[in-house]
Amino acid sequence: MKRLALGLAMLAGVAARATAQTSTAEVLRAAHDFYEQLDIERALPLLREVVSPSWPLEVTAQQRIDAYTYLGACLTLAGKRDSAVLYFRAAVEREPFTDLDPRLFTPAQLELFHRARRLTFAVAARPVAPSRIDPRTERLTFTVVTTHAASLRAELRTAAAPSGVTLFDDESAGLREIPWSGLLADGRLAPPGRYELVVAARSRLLERADSARVYFDVRHEAPPFEDTLPDLTDRQLLPEQLSKSAARGDLLKGLAVGGGALIISGALANGDLGGSLKAGAGIVAGGAALTGAIAFLARRHQSDIPENVEANARRRSERLAANEAIAHRNAEKLAQTVLLITPAAGVGP
Amino acid sequence: MRCGLALGLALAARPVAAQRGPTGAAFISVAEHRVEAGYGVERSSGVVLGVEGALPVGPRLSLALRAQGGSLHTSSPGAVNRDVGQVTAEARMAAAPWLMFQLGATRRVYSTIIARQRWTIVHLGAGVRVPFAVHAISGLARAALLPVVSVNGLDRPEVAFTAAAGMEYRVRSLAIQALYSLERYDFPAREAVRRLEQLGQLTLRCDLRKRTR
Repeated sequence: MKRLALGLAMLAGVAARATAQTSTAEVLRAAHDFYEQLDIERALPLLREVVSPSWPLEVTAQQRIDAYTYLGACLTLAGKRDSAVLYFRAAVEREPFTDLDPRLFTPAQLELFHRARRLTFAVAARPVAPSRIDPRTERLTFTVVTTHAASLRAELRTAAAPSGVTLFDDESAGLREIPWSGLLADGRLAPPGRYELVVAARSRLLERADSARVYFDVRHEAPPFEDTLPDLTDRQLLPEQLSKSAARGDLLKGLAVGGGALIISGALANGDLGGSLKAGAGIVAGGAALTGAIAFLARRHQSDIPENVEANARRRSERLAANEAIAHRNAEKLAQTVLLITPAAGVGP
Repeated sequence: MRCGLALGLALAARPVAAQRGPTGAAFISVAEHRVEAGYGVERSSGVVLGVEGALPVGPRLSLALRAQGGSLHTSSPGAVNRDVGQVTAEARMAAAPWLMFQLGATRRVYSTIIARQRWTIVHLGAGVRVPFAVHAISGLARAALLPVVSVNGLDRPEVAFTAAAGMEYRVRSLAIQALYSLERYDFPAREAVRRLEQLGQLTLRCDLRKRTR
Protein backbone atom coordinates (compact mmCIF):
# COMPACT_ATOMS: atom_id res chain seq x y z
CA MET A 1 0.00 0.00 0.00
CA LYS A 2 2.87 2.31 0.73
CA ARG A 3 4.18 1.86 -2.80
CA LEU A 4 0.81 2.71 -4.21
CA ALA A 5 0.73 5.79 -2.08
CA LEU A 6 4.17 6.75 -3.24
CA GLY A 7 3.17 6.31 -6.88
CA LEU A 8 0.09 8.38 -6.43
CA ALA A 9 2.08 11.03 -4.68
CA MET A 10 4.55 11.18 -7.54
CA LEU A 11 1.72 11.42 -9.99
CA ALA A 12 0.27 14.21 -7.99
CA GLY A 13 3.65 15.89 -7.87
CA VAL A 14 3.94 15.87 -11.63
CA ALA A 15 0.47 17.20 -11.93
CA ALA A 16 1.25 19.90 -9.45
CA ARG A 17 3.43 21.67 -12.02
CA ALA A 18 0.35 23.26 -13.39
CA THR A 19 -1.65 25.44 -11.11
CA ALA A 20 -4.96 24.11 -12.32
CA GLN A 21 -3.84 20.59 -11.68
CA THR A 22 -2.48 21.23 -8.24
CA SER A 23 -5.84 21.01 -6.55
CA THR A 24 -6.85 17.85 -8.38
CA ALA A 25 -3.55 16.28 -7.47
CA GLU A 26 -3.95 17.30 -3.85
CA VAL A 27 -7.40 15.81 -3.74
CA LEU A 28 -6.13 12.60 -5.27
CA ARG A 29 -3.25 12.53 -2.81
CA ALA A 30 -5.62 13.02 0.07
CA ALA A 31 -7.92 10.31 -1.28
CA HIS A 32 -4.98 8.01 -1.59
CA ASP A 33 -3.92 8.70 1.97
CA PHE A 34 -7.39 7.77 3.16
CA TYR A 35 -7.25 4.65 1.01
CA GLU A 36 -3.92 3.66 2.53
CA GLN A 37 -5.41 4.13 5.98
CA LEU A 38 -8.38 1.99 4.87
CA ASP A 39 -10.57 5.01 5.49
CA ILE A 40 -12.67 4.14 2.48
CA GLU A 41 -15.62 6.25 3.53
CA ARG A 42 -13.54 9.41 3.31
CA ALA A 43 -11.62 8.38 0.20
CA LEU A 44 -14.65 7.61 -1.92
CA PRO A 45 -16.22 11.09 -1.90
CA LEU A 46 -12.99 12.69 -2.93
CA LEU A 47 -12.49 10.30 -5.82
CA ARG A 48 -16.07 10.70 -6.96
CA GLU A 49 -15.67 14.44 -6.94
CA VAL A 50 -12.69 14.22 -9.24
CA VAL A 51 -14.53 12.14 -11.83
CA SER A 52 -17.73 14.13 -11.50
CA PRO A 53 -18.72 16.27 -14.51
CA SER A 54 -19.18 19.13 -12.10
CA TRP A 55 -15.58 19.04 -10.89
CA PRO A 56 -14.43 22.59 -11.61
CA LEU A 57 -10.73 21.98 -11.99
CA GLU A 58 -8.79 20.55 -14.82
CA VAL A 59 -8.29 16.81 -14.66
CA THR A 60 -5.69 15.14 -16.81
CA ALA A 61 -6.49 11.90 -18.55
CA GLN A 62 -4.11 10.02 -16.32
CA GLN A 63 -5.60 11.60 -13.17
CA ARG A 64 -9.04 10.57 -14.30
CA ILE A 65 -7.90 7.02 -14.94
CA ASP A 66 -6.21 6.90 -11.54
CA ALA A 67 -9.38 8.17 -9.93
CA TYR A 68 -11.46 5.49 -11.63
CA THR A 69 -8.93 2.83 -10.69
CA TYR A 70 -8.90 3.78 -7.04
CA LEU A 71 -12.64 4.10 -7.02
CA GLY A 72 -12.75 0.50 -8.18
CA ALA A 73 -10.18 -0.50 -5.59
CA CYS A 74 -12.05 1.29 -2.78
CA LEU A 75 -15.40 -0.13 -3.76
CA THR A 76 -13.90 -3.59 -3.83
CA LEU A 77 -12.75 -3.15 -0.28
CA ALA A 78 -16.21 -1.82 0.57
CA GLY A 79 -17.78 -4.96 -0.85
CA LYS A 80 -19.55 -3.15 -3.67
CA ARG A 81 -18.30 -5.45 -6.35
CA ASP A 82 -20.56 -4.43 -9.20
CA SER A 83 -19.80 -0.77 -8.74
CA ALA A 84 -16.10 -1.62 -8.49
CA VAL A 85 -16.29 -3.36 -11.82
CA LEU A 86 -18.01 -0.37 -13.40
CA TYR A 87 -15.23 1.96 -12.32
CA PHE A 88 -12.53 -0.45 -13.37
CA ARG A 89 -14.22 -0.65 -16.77
CA ALA A 90 -14.28 3.12 -16.97
CA ALA A 91 -10.53 3.13 -16.42
CA VAL A 92 -9.91 0.40 -18.95
CA GLU A 93 -12.13 1.99 -21.57
CA ARG A 94 -10.19 5.23 -21.30
CA GLU A 95 -6.80 3.57 -21.23
CA PRO A 96 -6.66 -0.06 -22.34
CA PHE A 97 -3.08 -0.22 -21.10
CA THR A 98 -4.34 0.24 -17.52
CA ASP A 99 -3.40 -2.64 -15.27
CA LEU A 100 -3.10 -3.39 -11.59
CA ASP A 101 0.17 -4.36 -10.04
CA PRO A 102 -0.38 -7.71 -8.26
CA ARG A 103 2.11 -6.66 -5.64
CA LEU A 104 0.06 -3.61 -4.68
CA PHE A 105 -3.54 -4.75 -5.00
CA THR A 106 -5.45 -7.50 -3.30
CA PRO A 107 -6.55 -10.66 -5.08
CA ALA A 108 -10.14 -9.51 -4.87
CA GLN A 109 -9.28 -6.23 -6.56
CA LEU A 110 -7.32 -8.05 -9.24
CA GLU A 111 -10.16 -10.46 -9.84
CA LEU A 112 -12.69 -7.67 -10.27
CA PHE A 113 -10.33 -5.75 -12.45
CA HIS A 114 -9.91 -8.76 -14.73
CA ARG A 115 -13.66 -9.15 -14.84
CA ALA A 116 -13.90 -5.52 -15.90
CA ARG A 117 -11.42 -6.23 -18.68
CA ARG A 118 -13.46 -9.16 -19.87
CA LEU A 119 -16.62 -7.02 -19.93
CA THR A 120 -14.92 -4.18 -21.73
CA PHE A 121 -13.37 -4.38 -25.14
CA ALA A 122 -10.78 -1.92 -26.36
CA VAL A 123 -7.57 -1.99 -28.31
CA ALA A 124 -4.73 0.50 -28.13
CA ALA A 125 -1.23 1.06 -29.38
CA ARG A 126 1.48 2.96 -27.61
CA PRO A 127 2.87 6.02 -29.39
CA VAL A 128 6.14 5.29 -31.14
CA ALA A 129 9.15 6.54 -29.27
CA PRO A 130 11.84 8.43 -31.18
CA SER A 131 14.44 5.89 -32.21
CA ARG A 132 17.18 5.08 -34.66
CA ILE A 133 16.89 1.67 -36.28
CA ASP A 134 19.49 -0.14 -38.36
CA PRO A 135 17.26 -2.51 -40.38
CA ARG A 136 20.13 -4.95 -40.81
CA THR A 137 20.36 -5.68 -37.10
CA GLU A 138 17.51 -4.00 -35.30
CA ARG A 139 13.73 -3.93 -35.26
CA LEU A 140 11.21 -1.27 -34.38
CA THR A 141 8.80 -2.62 -31.79
CA PHE A 142 5.17 -1.56 -31.56
CA THR A 143 3.33 -2.24 -28.31
CA VAL A 144 -0.38 -2.92 -28.58
CA VAL A 145 -2.95 -4.20 -26.14
CA THR A 146 -6.40 -5.70 -26.13
CA THR A 147 -8.41 -5.81 -22.96
CA HIS A 148 -9.10 -9.50 -23.45
CA ALA A 149 -8.82 -12.26 -26.03
CA ALA A 150 -9.41 -11.03 -29.53
CA SER A 151 -8.42 -11.52 -33.13
CA LEU A 152 -5.89 -8.82 -33.72
CA ARG A 153 -4.63 -7.37 -36.98
CA ALA A 154 -1.87 -4.80 -37.08
CA GLU A 155 -1.14 -3.18 -40.42
CA LEU A 156 1.42 -0.58 -41.34
CA ARG A 157 0.47 1.92 -44.03
CA THR A 158 1.88 4.98 -45.56
CA ALA A 159 -0.38 7.92 -45.12
CA ALA A 160 -1.23 7.89 -48.82
CA ALA A 161 -1.62 4.18 -49.45
CA PRO A 162 -4.86 2.32 -48.74
CA SER A 163 -3.09 -0.92 -47.89
CA GLY A 164 0.23 -1.71 -46.36
CA VAL A 165 2.25 -4.32 -44.59
CA THR A 166 0.47 -6.71 -42.25
CA LEU A 167 2.64 -7.04 -39.21
CA PHE A 168 0.36 -9.25 -37.13
CA ASP A 169 -2.83 -11.13 -37.81
CA ASP A 170 -3.68 -13.65 -35.12
CA GLU A 171 -5.27 -14.20 -31.74
CA SER A 172 -4.02 -12.01 -28.95
CA ALA A 173 -4.88 -11.05 -25.40
CA GLY A 174 -3.38 -8.29 -23.32
CA LEU A 175 -0.08 -6.74 -24.16
CA ARG A 176 1.74 -7.69 -27.34
CA GLU A 177 4.94 -6.45 -28.86
CA ILE A 178 5.03 -6.46 -32.66
CA PRO A 179 8.40 -6.06 -34.34
CA TRP A 180 8.89 -4.36 -37.71
CA SER A 181 11.96 -4.90 -39.82
CA GLY A 182 11.70 -1.58 -41.67
CA LEU A 183 10.76 -3.31 -44.93
CA LEU A 184 7.60 -3.03 -46.95
CA ALA A 185 5.66 -5.88 -48.49
CA ASP A 186 7.85 -5.88 -51.60
CA GLY A 187 10.94 -6.38 -49.50
CA ARG A 188 12.26 -2.88 -50.03
CA LEU A 189 13.26 -0.49 -47.33
CA ALA A 190 10.41 1.74 -46.24
CA PRO A 191 10.83 5.06 -48.00
CA PRO A 192 10.85 8.28 -46.00
CA GLY A 193 7.43 9.61 -45.14
CA ARG A 194 4.58 9.45 -42.69
CA TYR A 195 3.25 6.09 -41.66
CA GLU A 196 0.35 4.89 -39.55
CA LEU A 197 0.02 1.72 -37.61
CA VAL A 198 -3.57 0.61 -37.76
CA VAL A 199 -4.56 -1.88 -35.08
CA ALA A 200 -7.96 -3.51 -35.45
CA ALA A 201 -9.33 -6.15 -33.14
CA ARG A 202 -12.52 -8.13 -32.70
CA SER A 203 -13.40 -9.50 -29.30
CA ARG A 204 -13.62 -13.25 -28.79
CA LEU A 205 -15.90 -12.74 -25.78
CA LEU A 206 -18.16 -9.92 -26.91
CA GLU A 207 -19.66 -8.87 -30.18
CA ARG A 208 -17.46 -5.86 -30.33
CA ALA A 209 -14.63 -4.51 -32.39
CA ASP A 210 -12.26 -1.66 -31.87
CA SER A 211 -9.33 -0.04 -33.61
CA ALA A 212 -6.52 2.36 -32.89
CA ARG A 213 -3.98 4.29 -34.91
CA VAL A 214 -0.49 5.47 -34.22
CA TYR A 215 1.36 7.83 -36.53
CA PHE A 216 5.05 8.27 -37.00
CA ASP A 217 7.56 9.62 -39.48
CA VAL A 218 10.34 7.66 -41.10
CA ARG A 219 13.46 9.35 -42.37
CA HIS A 220 16.55 7.84 -43.93
CA GLU A 221 20.04 8.40 -42.73
CA ALA A 222 22.38 7.20 -45.47
CA PRO A 223 25.50 8.27 -47.34
CA PRO A 224 24.61 10.61 -50.21
CA PHE A 225 23.66 8.80 -53.37
CA GLU A 226 25.33 9.37 -56.73
CA ASP A 227 23.34 10.60 -59.68
CA THR A 228 23.35 8.36 -62.71
CA LEU A 229 24.72 9.73 -65.94
CA PRO A 230 22.14 11.47 -68.09
CA ASP A 231 21.15 10.21 -71.50
CA LEU A 232 23.59 11.00 -74.27
CA THR A 233 22.55 14.03 -76.22
CA ASP A 234 22.89 14.54 -79.95
CA ARG A 235 25.91 16.72 -79.29
CA GLN A 236 27.61 13.88 -77.45
CA LEU A 237 27.02 11.42 -80.28
CA LEU A 238 28.69 11.35 -83.64
CA PRO A 239 26.60 11.42 -86.80
CA GLU A 240 26.02 7.86 -87.90
CA GLN A 241 25.03 8.64 -91.46
CA LEU A 242 26.54 10.86 -94.10
CA SER A 243 24.58 13.41 -95.99
CA LYS A 244 24.76 13.62 -99.75
CA SER A 245 26.56 16.90 -99.40
CA ALA A 246 29.27 15.10 -97.39
CA ALA A 247 29.89 12.79 -100.34
CA ARG A 248 30.14 15.75 -102.68
CA GLY A 249 32.40 17.43 -100.15
CA ASP A 250 34.81 14.51 -100.27
CA LEU A 251 34.97 14.77 -104.02
CA LEU A 252 35.64 18.49 -103.83
CA LYS A 253 38.29 18.05 -101.17
CA GLY A 254 40.12 15.50 -103.25
CA LEU A 255 40.01 17.79 -106.26
CA ALA A 256 41.16 20.72 -104.12
CA VAL A 257 44.17 18.87 -102.77
CA GLY A 258 45.09 17.69 -106.25
CA GLY A 259 44.67 21.19 -107.62
CA GLY A 260 46.84 22.51 -104.81
CA ALA A 261 49.66 20.16 -105.73
CA LEU A 262 49.45 21.25 -109.39
CA ILE A 263 49.40 24.92 -108.43
CA ILE A 264 52.45 24.49 -106.25
CA SER A 265 54.36 22.78 -109.05
CA GLY A 266 53.18 25.35 -111.58
CA ALA A 267 52.38 28.79 -110.28
CA LEU A 268 54.70 28.75 -107.27
CA ALA A 269 57.63 27.18 -109.06
CA ASN A 270 60.23 29.37 -110.68
CA GLY A 271 59.51 29.45 -114.42
CA ASP A 272 63.14 30.21 -115.20
CA LEU A 273 64.05 26.76 -113.88
CA GLY A 274 61.53 24.96 -116.05
CA GLY A 275 59.31 23.50 -113.33
CA SER A 276 60.10 21.07 -110.59
CA LEU A 277 59.22 17.39 -110.44
CA LYS A 278 55.90 17.87 -112.11
CA ALA A 279 55.48 14.13 -112.32
CA GLY A 280 55.44 14.01 -108.51
CA ALA A 281 52.81 16.72 -108.39
CA GLY A 282 50.79 14.78 -110.94
CA ILE A 283 50.97 11.62 -108.88
CA VAL A 284 49.74 13.38 -105.76
CA ALA A 285 47.07 15.28 -107.69
CA GLY A 286 45.83 12.11 -109.36
CA GLY A 287 45.84 10.22 -106.09
CA ALA A 288 43.91 12.95 -104.28
CA ALA A 289 41.34 13.25 -107.05
CA LEU A 290 40.94 9.51 -107.21
CA THR A 291 40.53 9.32 -103.45
CA GLY A 292 37.84 11.99 -103.59
CA ALA A 293 36.04 10.20 -106.41
CA ILE A 294 36.13 6.84 -104.65
CA ALA A 295 34.90 8.42 -101.42
CA PHE A 296 32.11 10.13 -103.33
CA LEU A 297 30.97 6.93 -105.01
CA ALA A 298 31.31 4.87 -101.88
CA ARG A 299 29.29 7.30 -99.82
CA ARG A 300 26.53 7.49 -102.38
CA HIS A 301 25.96 3.78 -101.95
CA GLN A 302 26.80 3.47 -98.29
CA SER A 303 25.72 6.36 -96.14
CA ASP A 304 26.46 4.77 -92.79
CA ILE A 305 29.61 5.79 -90.97
CA PRO A 306 30.79 2.55 -89.37
CA GLU A 307 33.42 4.30 -87.28
CA ASN A 308 30.86 6.64 -85.79
CA VAL A 309 28.33 3.86 -85.29
CA GLU A 310 30.99 1.92 -83.44
CA ALA A 311 32.08 4.97 -81.44
CA ASN A 312 28.49 5.77 -80.47
CA ALA A 313 27.86 2.18 -79.45
CA ARG A 314 31.00 2.32 -77.34
CA ARG A 315 29.88 5.56 -75.67
CA ARG A 316 26.44 4.12 -74.97
CA SER A 317 28.00 0.99 -73.57
CA GLU A 318 30.36 3.00 -71.37
CA ARG A 319 27.46 5.10 -70.09
CA LEU A 320 25.45 1.97 -69.37
CA ALA A 321 28.35 0.39 -67.51
CA ALA A 322 28.92 3.58 -65.54
CA ASN A 323 25.26 3.75 -64.56
CA GLU A 324 25.26 0.11 -63.53
CA ALA A 325 28.28 0.77 -61.35
CA ILE A 326 26.58 3.80 -59.84
CA ALA A 327 23.43 1.80 -59.20
CA HIS A 328 25.49 -0.89 -57.54
CA ARG A 329 27.23 1.64 -55.31
CA ASN A 330 23.92 3.27 -54.48
CA ALA A 331 22.46 -0.10 -53.57
CA GLU A 332 25.35 -0.64 -51.21
CA LYS A 333 24.71 2.74 -49.66
CA LEU A 334 21.01 1.99 -49.40
CA ALA A 335 21.85 -1.19 -47.54
CA GLN A 336 23.59 0.96 -44.95
CA THR A 337 20.55 3.17 -44.49
CA VAL A 338 19.41 3.77 -40.95
CA LEU A 339 15.77 4.59 -40.22
CA LEU A 340 15.07 7.56 -38.02
CA ILE A 341 11.70 7.19 -36.34
CA THR A 342 9.84 10.09 -34.79
CA PRO A 343 6.27 10.15 -33.51
CA ALA A 344 3.70 12.16 -35.46
CA ALA A 345 0.32 13.61 -34.66
CA GLY A 346 -1.77 12.50 -37.62
CA VAL A 347 -1.93 11.64 -41.28
CA GLY A 348 -0.18 14.78 -42.35
CA PRO A 349 0.89 18.21 -41.26
CA MET B 1 74.06 25.34 -103.91
CA ARG B 2 71.47 22.75 -103.53
CA CYS B 3 70.86 23.48 -99.95
CA GLY B 4 67.06 23.59 -100.16
CA LEU B 5 66.84 19.89 -100.69
CA ALA B 6 66.81 18.72 -97.12
CA LEU B 7 64.53 21.50 -95.92
CA GLY B 8 62.08 20.61 -98.57
CA LEU B 9 62.24 17.05 -97.46
CA ALA B 10 61.67 18.18 -93.92
CA LEU B 11 58.57 20.10 -94.85
CA ALA B 12 57.28 17.22 -96.82
CA ALA B 13 57.76 14.95 -93.87
CA ARG B 14 56.19 17.24 -91.29
CA PRO B 15 52.89 16.15 -89.80
CA VAL B 16 50.13 18.69 -89.66
CA ALA B 17 48.07 17.83 -86.64
CA ALA B 18 49.22 17.54 -83.10
CA GLN B 19 49.57 14.02 -81.82
CA ARG B 20 48.44 13.13 -78.37
CA GLY B 21 51.15 10.56 -77.84
CA PRO B 22 54.72 10.08 -78.92
CA THR B 23 55.10 9.44 -82.63
CA GLY B 24 57.78 7.96 -84.77
CA ALA B 25 58.04 8.36 -88.52
CA ALA B 26 60.13 7.14 -91.40
CA PHE B 27 60.01 8.56 -94.88
CA ILE B 28 61.47 8.22 -98.30
CA SER B 29 61.55 10.97 -100.89
CA VAL B 30 62.26 11.20 -104.57
CA ALA B 31 63.77 14.64 -105.05
CA GLU B 32 64.60 16.77 -108.03
CA HIS B 33 66.87 19.73 -107.48
CA ARG B 34 67.31 22.50 -110.06
CA VAL B 35 69.90 25.26 -109.87
CA GLU B 36 70.57 28.17 -112.20
CA ALA B 37 73.85 29.94 -111.41
CA GLY B 38 74.64 31.50 -114.75
CA TYR B 39 75.66 28.31 -116.51
CA GLY B 40 72.26 26.99 -117.43
CA VAL B 41 69.88 24.89 -115.36
CA GLU B 42 71.66 22.13 -113.49
CA ARG B 43 69.42 19.21 -112.58
CA SER B 44 70.10 16.50 -110.06
CA SER B 45 67.91 13.91 -108.42
CA GLY B 46 68.02 11.08 -105.96
CA VAL B 47 66.48 9.34 -102.99
CA VAL B 48 66.62 10.73 -99.46
CA LEU B 49 65.71 8.76 -96.34
CA GLY B 50 64.75 10.14 -92.98
CA VAL B 51 63.42 9.41 -89.53
CA GLU B 52 61.64 11.53 -86.96
CA GLY B 53 60.53 11.37 -83.38
CA ALA B 54 57.98 13.70 -81.82
CA LEU B 55 56.93 14.10 -78.21
CA PRO B 56 53.98 16.06 -76.84
CA VAL B 57 54.91 18.55 -74.11
CA GLY B 58 51.44 19.86 -73.48
CA PRO B 59 47.90 19.60 -74.71
CA ARG B 60 48.74 21.61 -77.82
CA LEU B 61 52.51 21.70 -78.10
CA SER B 62 54.90 19.06 -79.29
CA LEU B 63 58.58 18.93 -80.09
CA ALA B 64 60.13 16.99 -82.95
CA LEU B 65 63.61 16.03 -83.96
CA ARG B 66 64.32 14.85 -87.46
CA ALA B 67 67.37 13.48 -89.28
CA GLN B 68 67.69 12.96 -93.00
CA GLY B 69 70.33 11.96 -95.49
CA GLY B 70 70.82 10.84 -99.06
CA SER B 71 72.66 11.29 -102.31
CA LEU B 72 71.79 13.33 -105.38
CA HIS B 73 73.12 12.36 -108.76
CA THR B 74 73.45 14.59 -111.77
CA SER B 75 74.08 14.15 -115.45
CA SER B 76 74.44 17.84 -116.17
CA PRO B 77 77.75 18.83 -117.73
CA GLY B 78 80.20 20.21 -115.19
CA ALA B 79 78.11 19.21 -112.16
CA VAL B 80 79.15 16.73 -109.48
CA ASN B 81 77.23 14.31 -107.32
CA ARG B 82 76.80 15.23 -103.68
CA ASP B 83 75.69 13.84 -100.35
CA VAL B 84 73.26 15.71 -98.14
CA GLY B 85 72.56 15.39 -94.44
CA GLN B 86 70.61 17.53 -92.05
CA VAL B 87 69.13 17.73 -88.59
CA THR B 88 65.95 19.67 -87.79
CA ALA B 89 64.46 20.66 -84.48
CA GLU B 90 60.89 21.85 -84.56
CA ALA B 91 58.10 23.02 -82.28
CA ARG B 92 54.49 22.47 -83.32
CA MET B 93 51.45 24.09 -81.84
CA ALA B 94 47.97 22.87 -82.67
CA ALA B 95 45.71 25.92 -82.76
CA ALA B 96 42.74 23.79 -83.79
CA PRO B 97 42.20 20.18 -84.81
CA TRP B 98 42.64 21.29 -88.39
CA LEU B 99 45.33 23.99 -87.95
CA MET B 100 48.92 23.77 -86.77
CA PHE B 101 51.72 26.30 -86.56
CA GLN B 102 55.34 25.28 -86.87
CA LEU B 103 58.63 26.91 -85.95
CA GLY B 104 61.95 25.20 -86.45
CA ALA B 105 65.62 25.38 -87.29
CA THR B 106 67.66 23.22 -89.64
CA ARG B 107 71.35 22.62 -89.90
CA ARG B 108 72.30 21.10 -93.23
CA VAL B 109 75.52 20.09 -94.90
CA TYR B 110 76.20 19.37 -98.58
CA SER B 111 79.32 17.41 -99.36
CA THR B 112 80.96 16.93 -102.72
CA ILE B 113 84.38 15.71 -103.63
CA ILE B 114 85.56 19.28 -103.91
CA ALA B 115 83.71 21.30 -101.26
CA ARG B 116 81.34 21.31 -98.29
CA GLN B 117 78.53 23.82 -97.93
CA ARG B 118 76.68 24.55 -94.68
CA TRP B 119 73.18 25.93 -94.44
CA THR B 120 71.32 27.27 -91.44
CA ILE B 121 67.60 27.73 -91.98
CA VAL B 122 64.75 28.88 -89.78
CA HIS B 123 61.24 28.16 -90.92
CA LEU B 124 57.92 29.54 -89.72
CA GLY B 125 54.71 28.23 -91.20
CA ALA B 126 51.29 26.70 -90.85
CA GLY B 127 49.52 23.60 -92.02
CA VAL B 128 45.93 22.57 -92.37
CA ARG B 129 44.31 19.16 -92.27
CA VAL B 130 41.03 18.68 -94.08
CA PRO B 131 39.33 15.50 -92.90
CA PHE B 132 37.23 13.64 -95.41
CA ALA B 133 33.85 12.25 -94.50
CA VAL B 134 35.57 8.94 -94.90
CA HIS B 135 36.92 8.79 -91.39
CA ALA B 136 40.49 7.65 -92.08
CA ILE B 137 41.38 10.04 -94.90
CA SER B 138 42.55 13.63 -94.72
CA GLY B 139 43.84 16.19 -97.16
CA LEU B 140 46.96 18.07 -96.17
CA ALA B 141 48.34 21.47 -97.18
CA ARG B 142 51.02 23.64 -95.68
CA ALA B 143 53.28 26.54 -96.36
CA ALA B 144 56.22 28.12 -94.58
CA LEU B 145 58.35 31.18 -94.93
CA LEU B 146 62.10 30.87 -94.45
CA PRO B 147 63.00 34.19 -92.80
CA VAL B 148 66.53 33.09 -91.95
CA VAL B 149 68.63 31.36 -94.57
CA SER B 150 72.37 31.50 -94.04
CA VAL B 151 74.61 29.80 -96.58
CA ASN B 152 78.35 30.14 -96.63
CA GLY B 153 79.44 31.87 -99.81
CA LEU B 154 75.97 33.18 -100.68
CA ASP B 155 73.89 36.22 -99.84
CA ARG B 156 70.56 35.95 -98.11
CA PRO B 157 67.88 34.90 -100.65
CA GLU B 158 65.29 37.46 -101.68
CA VAL B 159 62.60 34.81 -101.98
CA ALA B 160 62.57 31.75 -99.76
CA PHE B 161 59.53 29.64 -99.06
CA THR B 162 58.21 26.13 -99.18
CA ALA B 163 54.75 24.69 -99.83
CA ALA B 164 53.28 21.20 -99.89
CA ALA B 165 50.01 19.35 -100.57
CA GLY B 166 49.02 15.74 -100.25
CA MET B 167 46.88 13.08 -98.68
CA GLU B 168 46.96 11.07 -95.49
CA TYR B 169 45.49 7.61 -95.05
CA ARG B 170 45.20 6.19 -91.55
CA VAL B 171 44.97 2.57 -90.56
CA ARG B 172 44.65 2.20 -86.79
CA SER B 173 47.71 3.89 -85.30
CA LEU B 174 49.52 4.00 -88.62
CA ALA B 175 49.32 7.04 -90.89
CA ILE B 176 50.62 7.02 -94.44
CA GLN B 177 51.15 10.31 -96.18
CA ALA B 178 51.84 11.04 -99.84
CA LEU B 179 52.95 14.62 -100.40
CA TYR B 180 54.26 16.82 -103.12
CA SER B 181 56.37 19.71 -101.91
CA LEU B 182 58.26 22.58 -103.44
CA GLU B 183 61.06 24.61 -101.98
CA ARG B 184 62.19 27.77 -103.70
CA TYR B 185 65.14 30.15 -103.19
CA ASP B 186 65.81 33.24 -105.31
CA PHE B 187 69.15 34.73 -104.38
CA PRO B 188 70.01 38.33 -105.27
CA ALA B 189 72.02 39.01 -108.39
CA ARG B 190 75.75 39.20 -107.93
CA GLU B 191 77.92 40.44 -110.82
CA ALA B 192 74.89 40.28 -113.10
CA VAL B 193 74.30 36.67 -112.28
CA ARG B 194 71.12 35.76 -110.37
CA ARG B 195 71.22 32.41 -108.59
CA LEU B 196 67.99 30.41 -108.47
CA GLU B 197 67.39 27.15 -106.65
CA GLN B 198 64.31 24.97 -106.53
CA LEU B 199 63.52 21.60 -105.11
CA GLY B 200 60.50 19.48 -105.92
CA GLN B 201 59.92 16.19 -104.23
CA LEU B 202 57.48 13.39 -103.81
CA THR B 203 57.50 11.95 -100.29
CA LEU B 204 56.00 8.83 -98.87
CA ARG B 205 55.88 9.05 -95.10
CA CYS B 206 54.81 6.49 -92.55
CA ASP B 207 53.86 7.68 -89.04
CA LEU B 208 53.40 5.33 -86.15
CA ARG B 209 51.64 6.75 -83.12
CA LYS B 210 51.88 5.26 -79.69
CA ARG B 211 48.41 4.98 -78.29
CA THR B 212 47.81 6.86 -75.07
CA ARG B 213 44.87 6.69 -72.71
